[in-house]
Amino acid sequence: MGILNLSKLLADIAPHALKEHELKTYFGRKVAIDASMCLYQFLIAVRTEGAQLTSADGETTSHLLGTFYRTIRLIENGLKPVYVFDGKPPEMKSGELTKRQERRQEAQKALEKATEAGDAAEIDKFNRRIVRVTKAHAEEVKRLLKMMGVPYVDAPCEAEAQCAALVKAGKVFAAATEDMDALTFGSKVLLRHLTFSEARKMPIQEIHLDKVLEGLELNQEEFIDLCILLGCDYTDSIRGIGPKRGLELIRKHKSIENVINTIDKEKYPIPQDWNFAEARELFKNPEIAEINDLELKWGDPDEEAMVKYLCGDKNFSEERVRNGCKKLLKAKGSSTQGRLDGFFKVLSTTPAKRKLEDKKNTPNKKGKTSGGRGRGRGPK
Amino acid sequence: MFEARLTQSASIKKILDAIKDLLNEASFDCSESGIQLQAMDHSHVSLVSLTLKADGFDKYRCDRNLTMGMHLGSMSKIFKCSSNDDTVTITAQDDADTVTFTFEAKKQEKISDYEMKLMNLDQEHLGIPDTDFSCVIKMPSGEFARIVKDLSQFGESIIISCTKEGVRFSTSGDIGSANVKIAQTANFEKEEESVIIEMQEPVVLTFACQYLNSFTKATPLSNVVQLSMSDNVPLVVEYQIPDLGHLRFYLAPKIEEDEN
Repeated sequence: MGILNLSKLLADIAPHALKEHELKTYFGRKVAIDASMCLYQFLIAVRTEGAQLTSADGETTSHLLGTFYRTIRLIENGLKPVYVFDGKPPEMKSGELTKRQERRQEAQKALEKATEAGDAAEIDKFNRRIVRVTKAHAEEVKRLLKMMGVPYVDAPCEAEAQCAALVKAGKVFAAATEDMDALTFGSKVLLRHLTFSEARKMPIQEIHLDKVLEGLELNQEEFIDLCILLGCDYTDSIRGIGPKRGLELIRKHKSIENVINTIDKEKYPIPQDWNFAEARELFKNPEIAEINDLELKWGDPDEEAMVKYLCGDKNFSEERVRNGCKKLLKAKGSSTQGRLDGFFKVLSTTPAKRKLEDKKNTPNKKGKTSGGRGRGRGPK
Repeated sequence: MFEARLTQSASIKKILDAIKDLLNEASFDCSESGIQLQAMDHSHVSLVSLTLKADGFDKYRCDRNLTMGMHLGSMSKIFKCSSNDDTVTITAQDDADTVTFTFEAKKQEKISDYEMKLMNLDQEHLGIPDTDFSCVIKMPSGEFARIVKDLSQFGESIIISCTKEGVRFSTSGDIGSANVKIAQTANFEKEEESVIIEMQEPVVLTFACQYLNSFTKATPLSNVVQLSMSDNVPLVVEYQIPDLGHLRFYLAPKIEEDEN
């Protein structure tokens, strides 16, 4: 789920930190992809007539198909992906996970109802909501990645945290996930929409942490506290404090402790046994695998093994698999285009001045109206 | 107040044609000494560096340093509305958010002006180190454009290898391979038609055709192109703009895949 409303807040306050680029401009870049996130996308999105794709004996293959084609697309564009798989969820996430479990059960019930009623649109909707990424899915994808010559990393805990650590250590250029908390974990660059389908024509959103901090006028520790206030996966947040107010409070008081000491607790009740300090610790020092022990190697694809696995067991078309393999080999054989960044030093950057002023004006207006609405809502 | 007047609008037309494929928009830095433009393309593979000297203009006035962000496509549209021998005057107020282009036909029977909105652009000023290049090749710009165009049909990248004897451009692709070799010209009677190679050390570098092809759009600016190369540094492709300044393109070489 990431951080509630953080991307909206950034678009308003720090538009400078968000950039959009086409996939093809990322050639030569190594990226750490949050595998659990994209498997989930595949299971939801890769479907025909609303049903997941399956092998002959009825097992889902949507995740394999998605991994296969979209990884090829990345490699064709010159990217070097490394997939990072989730380990065990941190204990603090259990609350969030229970909530998700409940939602899934509700969806299951709704699905049964819809099936009885024969409402196709509803069936489709709830079918997508009960999707879960299982261990078996992950294992199958790992097997496929190995055959494709694409490296993967098993994170001991949260994949976003591991991705962030890889970026921090300079092993990869960016973390690719939809979860904004990769930034909270300290990933210098976050890419969103990287593994989306080509058909959606979504540009890739690139978010730079340094620009985020600059735009929000916070340091990393304050930023972590802000994320906790906004609402993260690990602990509760204070009801009634939204992004704007949260940012104001952190800017003024620097930490959650100080915020708690100053705000009106009648109006904004602090959650019981609020363990924000532990959540903060989790963001600062997450459980990750030792970076230096990881070897990221992009090897040659094993065509025969892939044909045997995907066509034999999983009902893929042999022609397509072989074609895909050729693309992988071709991309691997070609030399990589260099960048000028390494050769020239940036002497100074002049951000667009007037643009910034304009942007500052508009959110202010918005801020006032939403503030007004907020106050209006209060007495109800 | 900024004002620059040029009797031939064609020069600016040609410059725009040469750079508008690489850059969608760019900032023109105007100062007392002239107009400068420096910008990388979106993927940071190539860099365009344009210098127009103040004394190259027929009239030039710049009271305060001024940066004008312009959409090159739109600017090119405006210049397309002029005839090649029209006189163009570029004017802008200090802190203005528009720029005006005025075209006067030769006999002054027609005056047209176009006002264009300026853009606010992020700007990165890059320090380009002075490099002593291992090889500097001067050759007819038309010849260079031709070679790049011909070879692009066969492969995605061109290998340029320069030795004492001459320069070899080669490529290979699905249908086979292609090689073009040009030797140093023996007689230097006409400088514009000769190939001159100054070489300290032989160099072999690989470049993407796509970018080289974009650079050769600058061919109408000058009869001669100068290629400067050294191992592991960007290629510099330079076109002199007669009396006015120069247009340089920098291109990062392609690198062979190392084992991760």
